Amino acid sequence: MAEEFEEEYEDEIDLASLSDEELVLQMHDDLYDGLREEIVEATNILLSRKWSATRVLDEALVEGMRIVGIDFRDGILFVPEVLLSANAMKGGMEILRPLLAETGAPPIGKMVIGTVKGDIHDIGKNLVSMMMEGAGFEVIDIGINNSVEDYVAALEEHKPDILGMSALLTTTMPYMKVVIDALKEKEMRDNYIVLVGGAPLNEEFSQAIGADAYCRDAAVSVETAKSYMQNQMGAASRI
Amino acid sequence: MAEELKETNNPRRRRSGGRSVRQEIRKSKSEVSAPYIKRNVPVYNILDEEGLELIEKNADTILEEIGIEFRGDEEALQLWKEAGAELSGERVRFPKNLCRSIIRKSAPREYTQHARNPQKNVVIGGNNTVLVPGYGSPFIRNLDEGRRYGTLKDFQNFVKLTYLSSSLHHSGGTLCEPVDLPVNKRHFDMVYSHIKYSDKPFMGSVTAPERAQDTVDMAKVVFGDDFVENHCVITSLINANSPMVFDSMMLGAAKVYARHNQACIISPFILSGAMSPVTVAGTSAQILAEVLAGVAFTQLIRPGAPVIFGTFASSISMKTGAPTFGSPEPALVTLVTAELARRLGIPYRSGGGLCSSKISDAQAAYESANTLQTAMLAGVNFMLHTAGWLEGGLAMGYEKFILDADQAGMIQKFLAGIDLSENGQAMEALREVGPGQHFLGCSHTQANFESAFYMSKVSDNNSYEQWKEEGSQDATQRANKIWKKMLEEYEMPAFDPAKDEALKEFIEKRKASFPDSNI
Ligand code: B1M
Repeated sequence: MAEEFEEEYEDEIDLASLSDEELVLQMHDDLYDGLREEIVEATNILLSRKWSATRVLDEALVEGMRIVGIDFRDGILFVPEVLLSANAMKGGMEILRPLLAETGAPPIGKMVIGTVKGDIHDIGKNLVSMMMEGAGFEVIDIGINNSVEDYVAALEEHKPDILGMSALLTTTMPYMKVVIDALKEKEMRDNYIVLVGGAPLNEEFSQAIGADAYCRDAAVSVETAKSYMQNQMGAASRI
Repeated sequence: MAEELKETNNPRRRRSGGRSVRQEIRKSKSEVSAPYIKRNVPVYNILDEEGLELIEKNADTILEEIGIEFRGDEEALQLWKEAGAELSGERVRFPKNLCRSIIRKSAPREYTQHARNPQKNVVIGGNNTVLVPGYGSPFIRNLDEGRRYGTLKDFQNFVKLTYLSSSLHHSGGTLCEPVDLPVNKRHFDMVYSHIKYSDKPFMGSVTAPERAQDTVDMAKVVFGDDFVENHCVITSLINANSPMVFDSMMLGAAKVYARHNQACIISPFILSGAMSPVTVAGTSAQILAEVLAGVAFTQLIRPGAPVIFGTFASSISMKTGAPTFGSPEPALVTLVTAELARRLGIPYRSGGGLCSSKISDAQAAYESANTLQTAMLAGVNFMLHTAGWLEGGLAMGYEKFILDADQAGMIQKFLAGIDLSENGQAMEALREVGPGQHFLGCSHTQANFESAFYMSKVSDNNSYEQWKEEGSQDATQRANKIWKKMLEEYEMPAFDPAKDEALKEFIEKRKASFPDSNI
């Protein structure tokens, strides 16, 4: 059945021969289909046609991933498919990111994320990373079992906007507070938006440990990160 | 009809003490309890020889070609090297048959886990089934309070409810997380609660090697040093960090228990799709490979230490990544791995009343029934998570516990099998009653009615009118009343005061020897 459907579509498309409008629509489809190489190629084509990085980002990539997001939410797309879409998005973003930085456009955001010390649960964290990348965030995943030192080192090295922490055990979730307290002590806490998640957490806990927000799932993580980034921009432009 | 009933002969034909005596008898008889299930029903073998060999061959290939990582544990790597495995970094590759031959040489086919009340000792393995309550939930749920973090009080409540449930043979482990206690000391109170409020066997702490050691030391206070070194008194849950990894936390605990001759359940806890391939055959081969490596490891630590082939089979929703329960594919994995465990010749753990429902509704009921029945047919020897499990293990439900324990009672009855004795054949009854009559009054029924059918404590099978009069309650509401009544009527099993003192002293000393910490 699926094959029948797919056969109707032309696989070999010369992207360079498409008009801007057609190309953008094709990129939406290619993001949907998770075609990284095609997205990279199309991104370069648009740039060579003198599109600004911001315009490529907004009209082609973000819009394409918005559609992916809707169909993921509605249960049409599956996790492995969204993984490919996010990967394609990442390909486009890698080209655009330096250009965006040059133009001084507001960055989408960068996140360091890891599971806390003593904890090796990472399926949820990996999903969050995937969705964040799909939304254009740059994600540095520092893996599992992270000590305060690991987090601090990653923050210092990558200078992200957001720190994400994951914990699935009631025995390890208090460690999130240890990390936040250490950041406070080093006067680093206010430099980052701290988002926490993991099934045994809740909003109350996140407040009690001094995080900025609790994210119940990957989609909420993206929304929360976006809105914090926007607020931050707003705050920055007011200064 | 009334006339017929009058004619019925009363086989007792003598006074039996009337109401007061009968009431007493009925009360005490309602809790017929066997320490564990001796299975009298064949297991359901789902794969034939050829299929099983294929999966075993694939597991061998995984061990030989891909290998298993033993992370953060130098000693483990050293032991593997000495045993003849090939090391590259933390990756261990196993020559063909290495793990199997280590296991076959020393791992017991079955073992007795001793309880502080010897009448409650359980035999794990072979044709036996031990039903064990839910494990590991950070939250609890009940009808009165909804969902909240678990506390020591909840933990103790579940110890008591398990003690009072004749269909549960084991006190379990982390019945819920007592989040109100400091992380590095809560294991003392958990182990103590198992020992004090119940006399059934229990599970130990695994979240750090020193907590495992404390568990062993506490057991020694109760059972005696020598006894513990020579008998199993603790069975604990060691999860593989699938795919193909064992982490230092679990290895640390496994080493402590094995070294002291205590049992480990080596459990690949699989969310298929994320932690294993999406197919039953692929997942089963991976599970077998992980188990072979983990089980053999316990035998390197101490040959002969009791050990269980664990499997927790579930899948994820490919649409969200969330774990799913009660679905067909994990049921197939459970059946296949049970067969593999029997071929390997060690006890098997799986199953339970698993569900992802948040409350004890229809979804909870059918998902749990599916997993319980599958595990029962598979021939599970140690059935963790039999009662209480909600929300993929995130919440322990009071009412769900009662409903599941009732199901467990049914499993117990089912596995007793078919009575083919003279009484079971009931030819006397058929002769006595004859065509067109009823069986209510015949001698055979009079002699057997009390235990003939499993009587659910929660199901309502009365008339619509009676149900309505009694408040139109659903099963959850009825279960709510039952657990409250059980806790009200709970009486602590006798416990040697000298041992109790010694235990308390041990705990106090240990607790005072290091500061509270939540990390
Ligand atoms: C910005 O930052 C963010 C934002 C959002 C974030 C975020 C970070 N992180 C998560 N989110 C959020 O977004 C994600 C996507 O929607 C969501 O992530 P989740 O992770 O919630 O959801 C995932 C998509 C799917 N869910 C999961 O992956 C977790 C499922 C459950 C069943 C689970 C699994 C799979 C595992 N386990 Co573990 N395990 C359980 C879990 C019970 C449960 N139902 O949650 C739990 C958490 N485990 C538990 C236990 C006890 C343990 N586990 C252990 C091991 C394992 C496995 C290795 C077998 C495996 C993990 C594999 C892996 N690679 O991650 C052991 C510890 C190992 C260790 N050192 O950490 C061990 C200690 C086992 C033992 N023997 O006792 C229980 C917790 C007990 C407690 N103290 O709180 C538990 C509730 C199950 C249970 N009932 O026993 C959100 O929470």
